[in-house]
Amino acid sequence: MNFFERIQKLDRRWIYIVVALAIVIPLMIPYNSDNVTTPPTENLYQMIDSFSGREDRALLLSFAHDASTMPELFPMEVAILRHCFERNIKVFMLTWLPQGGPIIDYAINTVKEEYPDIKSGVDYCNFGYIPAALAMPTIIGMGDNISTTVKTDAEGRKVENLPIMKALNNYSELNLVVEFSGSVAGMSWLFYARPKFGLNVSVGVTAVMAADQYPYLQSGQFIGMLAGLKGAAEYEKLVDVFAAYREPGSPIRPTFDEEGVKIIPGRSFSSDILADDAAKKLINITTQSIAIFSPAEFQLFIDKYPDKTALFNQIKTEQDGKILIDVRTVTEQQKEELGYLAWGDLNRMTRNILYKFKVARIGMNAQSVAHIMIILFIILGNIGYFIQKARTAKK
Amino acid sequence: MSFELMSNLVGAFFTLCIFSFLYKDNPLYQMSEQLLVGISLGYGLVLTYERVFVPYFYQPLFLKQQWILIIPSIIGMFYLLRFSRKLSWLSRYPIAFSMMGVGASVPLAMHTSILVQMRQAMVPLESVNLFLIFFGTIAVLLYFFFSKAHAGLYGKFVNVGKWYMMVGFGASFGLTVMARISLLIGRIQFLVNDVMGLLK
Repeated sequence: MNFFERIQKLDRRWIYIVVALAIVIPLMIPYNSDNVTTPPTENLYQMIDSFSGREDRALLLSFAHDASTMPELFPMEVAILRHCFERNIKVFMLTWLPQGGPIIDYAINTVKEEYPDIKSGVDYCNFGYIPAALAMPTIIGMGDNISTTVKTDAEGRKVENLPIMKALNNYSELNLVVEFSGSVAGMSWLFYARPKFGLNVSVGVTAVMAADQYPYLQSGQFIGMLAGLKGAAEYEKLVDVFAAYREPGSPIRPTFDEEGVKIIPGRSFSSDILADDAAKKLINITTQSIAIFSPAEFQLFIDKYPDKTALFNQIKTEQDGKILIDVRTVTEQQKEELGYLAWGDLNRMTRNILYKFKVARIGMNAQSVAHIMIILFIILGNIGYFIQKARTAKK
Repeated sequence: MSFELMSNLVGAFFTLCIFSFLYKDNPLYQMSEQLLVGISLGYGLVLTYERVFVPYFYQPLFLKQQWILIIPSIIGMFYLLRFSRKLSWLSRYPIAFSMMGVGASVPLAMHTSILVQMRQAMVPLESVNLFLIFFGTIAVLLYFFFSKAHAGLYGKFVNVGKWYMMVGFGASFGLTVMARISLLIGRIQFLVNDVMGLLK
């Protein structure tokens, strides 16, 4: 029995083991693979980003899925919530499924840990579980008035009294819905709200469903689409390169200029920045611990914290004309002296991305290796099949 | 032992039980499968009671005395009469009411799934992409026109439609593989990161 014949008769359990290893090894040893962003993801990112800092704009996230599709959909939800919190975008959440309620809580708590200033009812509002039977009246009703349709949020507070509702009335303001689903995502919004109110609809779907949703994307009925783990990984990347980006001297929270105009941290989407080599350090998913500054950048950075200058000078080192701070060398006492803001700002300059914000990209590493393995199996299997066929014909 | 650790360990145990099916069917897998279905149903039932029955039935009826709600409540309860041979005809009334929603969605679905899609297929063929979409749409539609034999030049043309569909099925299959692998990645990330804390 030659190699190809053996492959033909290989016990499927060996294949399972190989696929498992192909997934576990890249997960345990992450590498910085790039993930090219596609127009459906970029369009959704830009649409959400256009709401940055605006009181009279908001988006609604509809969590129409349960735990079975979380590996693909949850990283999308976390990435979009992070985008919203970074760029000061108001966000609403609801679910049509009982199992979706805890997923909303889990997503919001996962992201909120890094944004302690974000407040429920001010920056975000969770409508919680609304029975699917009420989907049609809810969707149509919100087109007229949000707070009379959904009277209370998940915490039982009257929606009309919440500060987040100050400049929001109906779909004229809450003008984007992103539905996450493993089945017919976004259809009820597309059927009831888009034709009647012109609501912008977008979806985050599992890869299985993506092929079914493309026609709606191609006809422009969906503003954008996140397809499977790949879509989530793309969105994570865009958030790191644009929304979570801070220049060394820039503030980490929204500020106001002399005329009272709100300045939102981060930067706007640009294809040029994505193509630039400088963006590569912002998408590294391997653990980073060293903040690297040019002398001018370092001066700009420490000018933000004049009373901490001595401490920054104490922890810095110099190498090849660059100023380096390895955050692993900062002691607990020094962290306390730096304070929450300065420490957070310094830590951000290492470009280290927390695990929870790079889950999809690490997953895509494993995905690539698994795909190569599967393709290899298919090729070997086919070669074996044709060899066997040729031999049988000869006999 | 913290709640998080406890819940992660329970999750890890049941994940491994489900994975054990890859070796062969066994009682641990069966137990996990049944528990998943049972717990989901039980959880949904309790949540529906709290979020639907109490705010939409109990509170308005018994606390706010909105007695008019008795009528839809009774009509809703007719659903349960499906189990009675004599009175099962009454269950058609709530079904008729539900059909109202279906009826309302038909013209909207026509608009979204047919009219807008057709409009998008009728754009000027300014690029190769648009031409390919137009050509493919016609070829696939004609493939399903069975009143004429798929022979000669016509047969060759509709054969192109078959190839278009094959490409579509291939894309679907690729995406399905991707989705299944993603689910496995999610579970392994849970085991390796949440349970063992090995990832950074």
